[in-house]
Amino acid sequence: MKKILILFISTALLFACQRGEKTATGRPVVALVMKTLNNPFFIDMQAGAEEAAEQLQFKLIAQAPERELDVEKQMQIIENLIQRKVDAICVAPSGSREIVPAIVKANEAGIPVLVVDTRVDSVSLQQAGGFVTTFIGSDNIDGGRLAGRFISEKLNGKGKIAILEGIPGHETGDARLTGFHQAIADYPQIEIVASQTANWERDQGYNVFQNILQSHPEVQAVFACNDMMALGAIEAISASGKTGRVMVVGFDAITDARDAIASGTMAASIAQNPREMGRLAMVYAHKAIQKDTIPPTIPVKIELVRP
Amino acid sequence: MIYYGRQFGTLIGLLALCLALWILTPHFLTVSNLLNIAQQTSINAIIAVGMTFVIITAGIDLSVGSILALSGVVMATTLKAGVPWPIAVLVGLLVGFFCGIVNGFLITRGKLPPFISTLGMMSVARGVALMFTEGRPVSGFSDQFRFIANGEWFHVPLPVIVMIGVYLLAHFLLTRTKLGRYTYAIGGNEEAALLSGVNVNFYKTVVYGLCGLLSGLAAVILTARLNSAQPIAGIMYELDAIAATVIGGTSLMGGEGSIVGTLIGALIMGVLRNGLNLLGVSSFIQQTVIGSVIILAVLIDMALKKQKK
Repeated sequence: MKKILILFISTALLFACQRGEKTATGRPVVALVMKTLNNPFFIDMQAGAEEAAEQLQFKLIAQAPERELDVEKQMQIIENLIQRKVDAICVAPSGSREIVPAIVKANEAGIPVLVVDTRVDSVSLQQAGGFVTTFIGSDNIDGGRLAGRFISEKLNGKGKIAILEGIPGHETGDARLTGFHQAIADYPQIEIVASQTANWERDQGYNVFQNILQSHPEVQAVFACNDMMALGAIEAISASGKTGRVMVVGFDAITDARDAIASGTMAASIAQNPREMGRLAMVYAHKAIQKDTIPPTIPVKIELVRP
Repeated sequence: MIYYGRQFGTLIGLLALCLALWILTPHFLTVSNLLNIAQQTSINAIIAVGMTFVIITAGIDLSVGSILALSGVVMATTLKAGVPWPIAVLVGLLVGFFCGIVNGFLITRGKLPPFISTLGMMSVARGVALMFTEGRPVSGFSDQFRFIANGEWFHVPLPVIVMIGVYLLAHFLLTRTKLGRYTYAIGGNEEAALLSGVNVNFYKTVVYGLCGLLSGLAAVILTARLNSAQPIAGIMYELDAIAATVIGGTSLMGGEGSIVGTLIGALIMGVLRNGLNLLGVSSFIQQTVIGSVIILAVLIDMALKKQKK
């Protein structure tokens, strides 16, 4: 009895998941593999991709590992999509080097790979003999520079600042940090009193910045390499009764951050355009399937969002 | 001691799942996809073997993911220093074994509950891995080393062969040796085992050491597979390993369970993930489905057990 029950329920579950599969026959299938869906950035990216896929008349399979850092699961998803014989794979790599073996496997299967948002480590890719069709993403170094200049100018070129870093060794965060450092190098009287990682997360942004406020109560501004950490920092500032006295600049301009900018708790954020990124990924995946020539880099607009 | 009947239930579940996928997608039942699943399952399956031993002693090991990360980065750094790969692999395995033995000592000599000591080790090993690498991944290895993940033997990927080897050996250990008998005895009734002259502390420490060693082995495969060792690798792998063990019919109360069951449990998880990817199911639904299957498996398992009594 029980065994029949398992059989029945598993079958039912799978059939329930099956909707949409049949309508897709004949259309090209394009996969979008993201880092996670726990971040509004990727939800926007998926939304942009879905709209474009609709217009271009192909089936979109959007997938992401359960945890943002899980490169091995991301690799599994790509392997499974290769088995599924999708026509093109767009991937936002969870790890710039670790994703290379998966890309090579897609190459071997003759499936074009378009990299979105985070670059693949070009040296590792070359060594492994892999190749990608194009990179679609924003220039994070430039974004970091925008943030650095904004903070320096707001402080009139003088003051103590803190940085909340992303995960070390993560290309996106490192690039933002590099750009930020480049920009403030022009302002010798800007001093970085603390620079620590909060692993991209809101709750860690809160805790880490609370600790920084304890050890450096004089800090005047904080640059967080993403908005989630910036929003955490804002909570920490509010909890210590310093609202309005510490300038917060984030990165990504997600909806919550835009609200915070409107209400005055956040000074600025750097807007990437994930929706546009998702759209462009589909447009160029379409071109790749049709074997059109595609430039090696497709820049996506980046801008400073302030009140 | 060994519950063949219960494994049978889980096996039926696995077969039903495969049947359903075979009906739903033409991409499932191909040789290349089945090998693909086996390869993807291997890492979790190997960790789950150690977890099965630990859980049969009525313990738990939450540190396997962190131990995997630490073993991985130490081995990778050794490789990068130009040490021949077999020695580097040995170093990685020893790091895992050592962490496991420390867990064992904390539990047996320090009298800490396994939950607490391995929770501590989870954090310590992760921290050491991060310090050791300054948070950065260590990547780019020789082809000989990467052969561990990319190599094939009669078209079967080497990680799958390693996995099969581990399962044969573990099944033998658990069913045919003193270590296996005592593992069940300790989990069934530790007091009684102690009174009947079993060196409980020694065997428990060995079991945790074995669990650490297997995490180290998983680290070898993972590192070769990604061509990189990350200090943040393996986060929450303990939960996947526990899930595979529990789906496979091992009781968290200790004293019962089997290696074969764990293999089936790990395969169910692998097949499910693969199938949901093939079908293009949203990632949110995937998590819900996998969670539901874990709950369902244990519910059915408990119902079957009651029936038998």
